[in-house]
Amino acid sequence: MENSFVELNGRDRAKVLFDHGTARELVGPLDNLYSPHLMPQGIVPESDDGIILMKGQIKGLDSVVISMEGAFQGGGIGEVGGAKIVAALEQTLKDNQNGHKEYPIIVFDTGGVRLQEANYGLLSISEIQNMIIALKKYVPVIGVVPGRVGAFGGMSITSAMMSYLIATDEARVALNGPEVIEQEAGVREFDSSDKNLIWNTLGTKQRAATGLVDEIVDDDVDLIKNSIVAAIQAKKDSHRTENVDFYLNLLKDIDFNQPMDTEEYRKLFPTVKAGNHHIAEAQKSATPKDKSRGRLWFEKLTGIENAESEVSTVLHATVDGKEFIAIVPDTQNKRFPRVRNGEVGLMEGFTVAKIVNQVIEEDQGKEQKRPIICIVDVPSQAYGYKEELIGINVALASSAAAYAKARQAGHPVVDFIPGDAVSGGFLAHGLQSNRMIALGDDSITIQAMSKASAARITLRTIEELEEATKHVPAMAYDVFNYTKLGALYKRIDSIKSWDASDKNVARIQKEIDAAIDSTKGQPTDLSYRYTNEIAVKEGRVATLKMRKAVENQWNN
Amino acid sequence: MEKLNYKFDTQEEVKEPVHVGVVASGDLEVLVYPTTDPQTTVEIVTGSDGFGEVWKNVLDRFFARYPLHADFKINDFGATPGVVNLRLAQAMEEIKHGE
Amino acid sequence: MKVKRSWTQQRDAKNARMEKVSSLLNGKFAKTEDAKEILERLIEPNDKVVIEGDNQKQADFLSRTLANVDPERVHDLHMIISSISRPEHLDIFDKGIASKIDFAYSGAQSTRVSQMISSGRMKVGAIHTYLELFGRLFIDLIPNVVLVAAEKADRNGNLYTGFNTEETPTIVESAAFKNGIVIVQANEIVDQVPRVDIPGDQIDVIIPADKPYELEPLFTRDPQNITEIQILMAMMAIRGIYEKHNVQSLNHGVGFNTSAIELLLPTYGEKLGLKGKICRNWELNPTPTLIPAIESGWVESIHSFGGEVGMEKYIAARPDIFFVGKDGSMRSNRALGQVAGQYAIDMFIGSTLQIDKYGNSSTVTAGRVPGFGGAPNMGSNPTGRRHSTPAWQAMKTTDNPLDKGQKLVVQMVETFGANKQPVFVDKLDAVDVQKEINMENAPIMIYSEDTTHIVTEEGIAYLYKTDSMAERQAAIEAIAGVTPVGLRSNASQLQDLRNRGIVALPEDLGVHRGEAKRSLLAAQNMSDLVKWSDGLYNPPAKFRSWS
Repeated sequence: MENSFVELNGRDRAKVLFDHGTARELVGPLDNLYSPHLMPQGIVPESDDGIILMKGQIKGLDSVVISMEGAFQGGGIGEVGGAKIVAALEQTLKDNQNGHKEYPIIVFDTGGVRLQEANYGLLSISEIQNMIIALKKYVPVIGVVPGRVGAFGGMSITSAMMSYLIATDEARVALNGPEVIEQEAGVREFDSSDKNLIWNTLGTKQRAATGLVDEIVDDDVDLIKNSIVAAIQAKKDSHRTENVDFYLNLLKDIDFNQPMDTEEYRKLFPTVKAGNHHIAEAQKSATPKDKSRGRLWFEKLTGIENAESEVSTVLHATVDGKEFIAIVPDTQNKRFPRVRNGEVGLMEGFTVAKIVNQVIEEDQGKEQKRPIICIVDVPSQAYGYKEELIGINVALASSAAAYAKARQAGHPVVDFIPGDAVSGGFLAHGLQSNRMIALGDDSITIQAMSKASAARITLRTIEELEEATKHVPAMAYDVFNYTKLGALYKRIDSIKSWDASDKNVARIQKEIDAAIDSTKGQPTDLSYRYTNEIAVKEGRVATLKMRKAVENQWNN
Repeated sequence: MEKLNYKFDTQEEVKEPVHVGVVASGDLEVLVYPTTDPQTTVEIVTGSDGFGEVWKNVLDRFFARYPLHADFKINDFGATPGVVNLRLAQAMEEIKHGE
Repeated sequence: MKVKRSWTQQRDAKNARMEKVSSLLNGKFAKTEDAKEILERLIEPNDKVVIEGDNQKQADFLSRTLANVDPERVHDLHMIISSISRPEHLDIFDKGIASKIDFAYSGAQSTRVSQMISSGRMKVGAIHTYLELFGRLFIDLIPNVVLVAAEKADRNGNLYTGFNTEETPTIVESAAFKNGIVIVQANEIVDQVPRVDIPGDQIDVIIPADKPYELEPLFTRDPQNITEIQILMAMMAIRGIYEKHNVQSLNHGVGFNTSAIELLLPTYGEKLGLKGKICRNWELNPTPTLIPAIESGWVESIHSFGGEVGMEKYIAARPDIFFVGKDGSMRSNRALGQVAGQYAIDMFIGSTLQIDKYGNSSTVTAGRVPGFGGAPNMGSNPTGRRHSTPAWQAMKTTDNPLDKGQKLVVQMVETFGANKQPVFVDKLDAVDVQKEINMENAPIMIYSEDTTHIVTEEGIAYLYKTDSMAERQAAIEAIAGVTPVGLRSNASQLQDLRNRGIVALPEDLGVHRGEAKRSLLAAQNMSDLVKWSDGLYNPPAKFRSWS
């Protein structure tokens, strides 16, 4: 293409969107804000940490462009670059709140979390998502996926939250890359060597036909710019994360044991209508269910024995004025085999979103917003072909968006983490909370990717990976290292994951209440994580430095 | 990964800082900062170990041709000497153009 | 004294062999499941056997079958395979079915070939250039049995080899008219072939293959992977060689360097006003990166050694450019293509892995014996030529009325390879490999004496202008960058060579480094090529990167 946008590097992609001579780069390469986590792991850093931030005018409109450099470490989001995005969106939000219209545009080219600083990546992405949800009340947030890397992992969830998502036909959007699905679920689930299958499933054309992308644009700088401006002027909003009733209807009769290809899904998609769904509270039953740490604590904290629900993997109930939500395994799950171990899949994402939206609605107009307690025990997101085909990123985005909205509306959202908190599952269910309480138990894994996957992708054995990450909080898998990031509100070491005695349950109830109390009169965003003492002292030093730099340069 | 440092005696003053390139596979970024120090310094972080001699030769030739006086910082992800030369030449052109 | 003998011993022997399989044949046709038995009956120990292993097309059903024959019945064959491409080409040596080989190229199997030669499991007659190997099929390597592949065969045994004809007619000819046995695997048996590429009376046995023959898209280069350095060198080559010498007919070795040139013709070349003046007549496989130049009217004709997967429909729609049969499909022919490439073109330009200080080049590196393929034929100067084209004439360096022109043979390399190893070396790895595996000839791909130009990112060395080996070495040093060879050059030497026109830097050619951007390429990815072709080019799935 003569005037190709895709061909450009991340910096030039940002620059060409602006009216000539109006672009100003903020916290650019010459400012020397490097990731502190790469060199200690033997990886060459980039002076802008792979994120380019520019302000200026687009067809006369004040705009902020955030562009990812896909050629640097696959466009992975780390602490410094992530903080740059969050800080920029926050400044844009402030400007808009102060009556200054300013339009944020995000150019995606990213594999998601940067594995070498996975814990920061995951935190950053949830913080980015929080800002996007807040911004959408004021201005459309436009996303562009030009292609080369595309939008994958946690950032595919972010892309689903965009008011309007524009992509060329060289782009792909998916939560899990084909290689990861093949590794996790086998070659029969997704043959990652089959390029036609990949492009037909994850490529823009299919995505645009099935609501995951809003507009296909030719790879041309001017055309892309025009599309962006048109979307801003028309105040476009796809409400993608609010189509929960549509997706719950779509999933109602699907059996994932049966094959479904791209053509069939394209035929099915337009025939689905949004239904009226209400997710009833979990009920007591006589039959014991599959054990999990999440279920154990849900049942103990709510007093509902052998809790049962119409969606077998999602439990919720309001008890003592608090709404408890848990995602649990169901080894007998007939229609959705990929979530049998408690993974977060399509049904789980949309159901949790529905539940949280119900709570928001029920409490609308009330002064006291009901606290939402997220019981976190999620081993990962679901890895499956049909999950990607339908758009598991939208499912996870829907629940993350719902939690963010609830929090921003004044609901205290508190995590209780007695089990694993991994990757997309954690982004959907847990990472939008303003307080996290975790048990100090060795068995708990907190990370962006399972050890097995991370080992395969970084070409290490699990033993080598464990050795390498043991002393690096940025990459660690255990809750003790995680604490060093400052992400936790509290860690309780005297109670172990499976030890839900009456005394321990009472203690946890007290801790949850204290956490709820601590949110009173405090910001409803995620700033607690980087402003607490541990974060300021060691966990988020680089984040704070970046936030300062963006703030200082914002108006010069 | 390896860190390398070199010093050169040069004369041509550089007034504005300059940045070119991307730390992509087989590529590098070059950052140039004006300096008041007597010598030009080059600080390299490279993903390919064991090429100190080649770097020295590339830089010797570059500064012999273009005696730019500045602090250079290079982040390299396995670029060949040809690519290194091209990026240095681009940085040089940007410096001259900027003047 | 007149010898007393039967003069039909070979024909009688062939007839006797054919008699042994008559019960398995219906006319010329055999059943797929009888293939192994047929080979065991028709091939005898110590036979010379050709397996069609071309650059692209592989008689892989027959080679897999041969690898399964009983080594008690069939052993110590002398194989002739132009391109050792498939694992079973080597398995037959592991099993003792074959013991000696003559070949030209072994790209994908080059490591294993090297090991087998070292261990003595494989005896090598010679590593040939294509034309030597084809030629010797008619001189002293006349085969007893040939195993070839066709796309379609009809009831009369006529073969359609179509787009991928490649070597089939040459191989068949060497056996069919000298009492050899011709065995064909066919993808399909039809009532009538679309056109007769090889007449049925040259064929002895036809076996329907279990699956269509293997075909590799070897000549497809995704423009996505062309670098700025390659674009810079391509610009230099266009200005400093194509334009300067008025190169009209040519072959491009396959690689990203030459792909870059092809994709710069409609942009940079057009800007220089070179359309119609250069690059008109090509001997070249149908490389997809040539599509934009064809579509913008640069190309008058292309003859091809072989086909290229995905180009079928495009070529069928451009019979003014390609060699296309009445049926609408291209006809390729490697032997004729090599003849044209060696004898009929102005210029060969290609790339290599190592060039020594004298200008000899080789693709052999430690532990790998990839052979040569066609480059040495095309990358050599046939001294008997008397071409009248401007480029050939331009290589004359004296006023002597008896002075001859020369074919332009150009090597185009970055001074360091992607592995950051220097391309310019004092001694080629090939010299050590020669000792290791006891070859008569060092595996040089292109000799210094034939090389007229070397292009690097540093500059162009006009070697044909040098009049001593010392001067030739100095010219090479001047463009060899910071390789050990290049470090011997100094500023004053370089200036002197530039003044005398023996070396040119980009600035001497009017090439600006800053202009060397990917945006200059007429197509930047496969999808662009498809668009240029009006959707007629259908790239193999492995190149898919759009939806």
